[in-house]
Amino acid sequence: MHELTPIAPPVEHPDPLLGVRDLHYRYPDGTQALSGIRLDIAAGERIALVGRNGSGKTTLIKQLCGLLAPGSGQVYYQGRLLQGEHLEAGRLTIGYLFQDPDDQLFGHTVLADVAFGPRQQGLSAEQADAAAREALKRVHLADKAYKEPHHLSFGQKKRAALAGLLAMQPQVLLLDEPTANLDPRQEQVFLDLLKTFNGTLICVSHDLLFLYELCRRAVVLDQGRVAHDYSLDELVTQRGELRAHGLDFSFRLVLTPEADEAPAERGPACAPMAAEPTAAPLVTLEHYVFRYPDGTLALDRLDLGIWSGERIALVGENGAGKSTLLACLLGLQQGSGTYCFDGRPVTRRLQRTLWRQVGLVFQDCADQLFCASVEEEIAFGLRQLGLARAEIRRRGEEVLAMVGLEGFQQRVPLHLSGGERKRLALACVLAMRPRLLILDEPTAGLDPRSEALLLEILRGLEATLLLVSHDMFFVQALTCRTLVMHQGHILRDTATADFLQDRNLGNLNGLAFSYRQRGSDAIRALQHAHEQRHVHGHRHAGEEAALEHAHVHTHRIVHSHPGDDQAHEHPPRRFYGDDLPDHAHDPDRHN
Amino acid sequence: MHISDGVLPLSVTIGGYAASAALTAWSARRTRTEEMPKLAVMTAAFFVASLISLPLGPTSVHLLIPGLTGALLGPSAFLSIGLGLLLQSLLFQFGGLTALGANALMMGLPAMACGWFFQRFKGTTRRRQTIVGSLAGAAGTVLSAIVLAVLLATGGEDFFGVAKLALAAHVPVIVIEGAVSGLTIGFLAKVKPALLQR
Amino acid sequence: MIDIVHITVPWWQVALLLMLGPAVLAGAVAGLRRLARARVTAGEAPDWSVPPLAAEGGDTLLHRWDVRCKIVTILAYSFMLAALSRPQPAVAAIGISLLVLVAARASAARVLIRLLAIAGFIGMFLVVMPFTVPERNGDTLIVFNQIPWLGFNLRGLGLAGTIAAKAVAITLLMEPLLATAPLPVTLHGLSRLGAPEMVGQMVLLSHRYLHVFRHEARRMADGMQVRGFRKRTDLVTLRAVANFLGMLFVRSFERTERVFDAMRARGYKGRFPEPAEPRLKPGDLLFAGLWLLAGLTLLVWDRMPS
Repeated sequence: MHELTPIAPPVEHPDPLLGVRDLHYRYPDGTQALSGIRLDIAAGERIALVGRNGSGKTTLIKQLCGLLAPGSGQVYYQGRLLQGEHLEAGRLTIGYLFQDPDDQLFGHTVLADVAFGPRQQGLSAEQADAAAREALKRVHLADKAYKEPHHLSFGQKKRAALAGLLAMQPQVLLLDEPTANLDPRQEQVFLDLLKTFNGTLICVSHDLLFLYELCRRAVVLDQGRVAHDYSLDELVTQRGELRAHGLDFSFRLVLTPEADEAPAERGPACAPMAAEPTAAPLVTLEHYVFRYPDGTLALDRLDLGIWSGERIALVGENGAGKSTLLACLLGLQQGSGTYCFDGRPVTRRLQRTLWRQVGLVFQDCADQLFCASVEEEIAFGLRQLGLARAEIRRRGEEVLAMVGLEGFQQRVPLHLSGGERKRLALACVLAMRPRLLILDEPTAGLDPRSEALLLEILRGLEATLLLVSHDMFFVQALTCRTLVMHQGHILRDTATADFLQDRNLGNLNGLAFSYRQRGSDAIRALQHAHEQRHVHGHRHAGEEAALEHAHVHTHRIVHSHPGDDQAHEHPPRRFYGDDLPDHAHDPDRHN
Repeated sequence: MHISDGVLPLSVTIGGYAASAALTAWSARRTRTEEMPKLAVMTAAFFVASLISLPLGPTSVHLLIPGLTGALLGPSAFLSIGLGLLLQSLLFQFGGLTALGANALMMGLPAMACGWFFQRFKGTTRRRQTIVGSLAGAAGTVLSAIVLAVLLATGGEDFFGVAKLALAAHVPVIVIEGAVSGLTIGFLAKVKPALLQR
Repeated sequence: MIDIVHITVPWWQVALLLMLGPAVLAGAVAGLRRLARARVTAGEAPDWSVPPLAAEGGDTLLHRWDVRCKIVTILAYSFMLAALSRPQPAVAAIGISLLVLVAARASAARVLIRLLAIAGFIGMFLVVMPFTVPERNGDTLIVFNQIPWLGFNLRGLGLAGTIAAKAVAITLLMEPLLATAPLPVTLHGLSRLGAPEMVGQMVLLSHRYLHVFRHEARRMADGMQVRGFRKRTDLVTLRAVANFLGMLFVRSFERTERVFDAMRARGYKGRFPEPAEPRLKPGDLLFAGLWLLAGLTLLVWDRMPS
């Protein structure tokens, strides 16, 4: 009776809050960012906007709040074109949360910043003040009202920035990578805050597990076009589609201990931890204490041994002292107590040459890449090592091949993509052949495809590795031993496999990743055979053109996902959330 | 080097205030009102740049980079420098509050002159921009030193010795300032040429 | 007229004299620095839900004083001090400033940091001027027997000392001026006095992003250090520093754009909201008048023929 066309026609929503029609946008430098976007968003929807880095997600978000004007096409808000006075009024009810909270917290104190929006809405100083305090209370920052933003931790800044938007009582929240750089506990707090928001929510993120918890509808962008628009449940089941859009995060789902994958896929081959390793350790810290100039104790009588060839994860909440430990290992800071590198105590003199032995890949590549070409960038450290020109050249080629950046010598590091920059930073450190390689949050800001690529490179490395991460999947995939840090101590030093089994341990230390486990389980269930309701917009084929129309139609299909790249008998269609019965994340629904 | 309180004669401090107020007003008119916040944020960057010290033999010197400021900010440079100096005075006491006008003249006039010089002669190639940039950087320091010496010398014959010394103290810095300004502009010309278009 | 008085001392005293000045200065600076550092580590107030002004317990006369009066008075008084020309009134001015410091219960550490900042520049005057001021009738010159051209002119020392005293007296007032109200309040006071509102907002924005960029610069410096970079006097260093500056400007510029976007997204249209209007009390004016009278007295004393 109905013929399902391969591409569903756009379904007109009767009364969308936000509407986008044939939107094209080209950056001043000529890059085409968006082409032919057509999108309807109803009030109260929660939309995950996904796609690989550079697919136009942030550009689309900026169009939706009028920060960029459309090249051609229209953006409607509350039924009117988003421009002129309507734009000025609209901005006061559309909140945009930037990825870096420092961009947004421009006020002198937290309170002044949060009150900025309400004041722009025309409230008096007292009213704005009250609104700001209310919003701060909501994000649990009432006691920080008069603090200057630069004295807040990253997670607090992020929440303060959200308070600045909530104080304006927005109807729409646009979120750009809300979980980037947050530790799991902060992430949980943030997620809970967003769940209580009952307006429209559009969230850009690479973190599909987070999105799975928050959103119901998924819009996939690819090269500035809407490639898919359907429910998140459907998106996560389509491994082929995910892979095509650089979003296949399925490699992460093997995290669950019950996973039945081959051991090779699950992590490095770990020799059982010997009770007393026989060889001398590469790094020894004994009763190591570090105190900040202001008296705060950052490392409190810390003991640690790292043996050559080990692969170690360092986990712990923000502020546990991980960064300080790294700075001490690198010789950037010196505490008191014993620090021996390769059997030799680290004195002031040895501290100055530690850089030859220890390499660090920074969390933010921008802190590490500062040369005008990739070639110079790699040569920078090698020149300090005093190597000959020919050797520098040879090593440069070698490491670029290792990280898959062959022939990039003359490119400008700043103009590379996020994933490429990360791999370049890794190459720069590898070229110096450090005896201990430290990675600080290597996955921050990468899309799943870049993550997978990085993972592959790191797996192939033969180095003593210290991985600092909140990302339990990377921890599992790369390391054999896990150190849990808390308040300047190493709370637990255990095999990674044991650490991951012990969910309680994680929760105790603010590494609450339980919702991730939950989401992970649910998605794994979805990625197997299951029964599901689908919503389709489709055309009545065979009738006259005038009668040809789109409508929303619900029916129930039993089908199975063969997984991977195999052809799928029933590809998903356009989705409109308001007609759909609630997709509770109920594992019982799946077989 | 910033002039602190109590050094200059009263007439010079007041004259400095008047002159720099006029120049600031002119500079502000050349900057679009809505772009003022941008300028303020950029000022913070120049402020941080001026905190960087470079070793020079046994001692170290702070960068002044008036030439670079002028090249990157154009006519807005004076406003930015005035703002930066006000902050330095408020936060660190680098430069006295009563000498603020004189200090602004000392940094701002060379910045404007060098900015104009750079934009006029920068050409299109990276090599040329580097060379013109380093000339602007060096000239900026020379001009700053001269303005400083002249301001000090207004105190009368007694101050000539100090003025000469202040002038001499800038000589070794000229080369460093020129080289750093030129290389920075060369870097920007390759990495972000848009920053050099004013 | 009195001729130039020459006092001849043996040459070794040159060395002593030359070393004594800088040594005392260096010692003072080192001592001050240590003191300042020790004081700064006292830590911050834990609860920030109340304005820091009240939290610091600073409910003194200067805290309550109307901010506009405070700015006008202290600025005008500073200019009066700058006009002094004799050492005695200048030293008396230091006394007044110290009194104000005590009255405002200013943090000694921060006052010391401010004094340290001017020490180098003022020190230059103290060291250079005694040797370079031209000889005039009535001057007392200490001449060293072997080196006739190197005369230590006591008038020069007096001149430099007066400058130093004026500089210290004004610098001591900066803490009472700036630390007795939050920066936004002070800046708003400035704009109420006729300065454009935008100036204050720009200072606040700069101040805010100063810290952000300082952290960024710090991390970039670390990034260079862990790859073996050490600052030396050579071309490699200059090139690296130039790249560093370039990156700093590129990142700042990009952030500038984002900050501006964030402001627009929250409804910024070229104007900042104005805080509430403060009310002027007669007491405020009285205090201002008394203070300025003290300044005038100093000036008159300074200009009186002795």
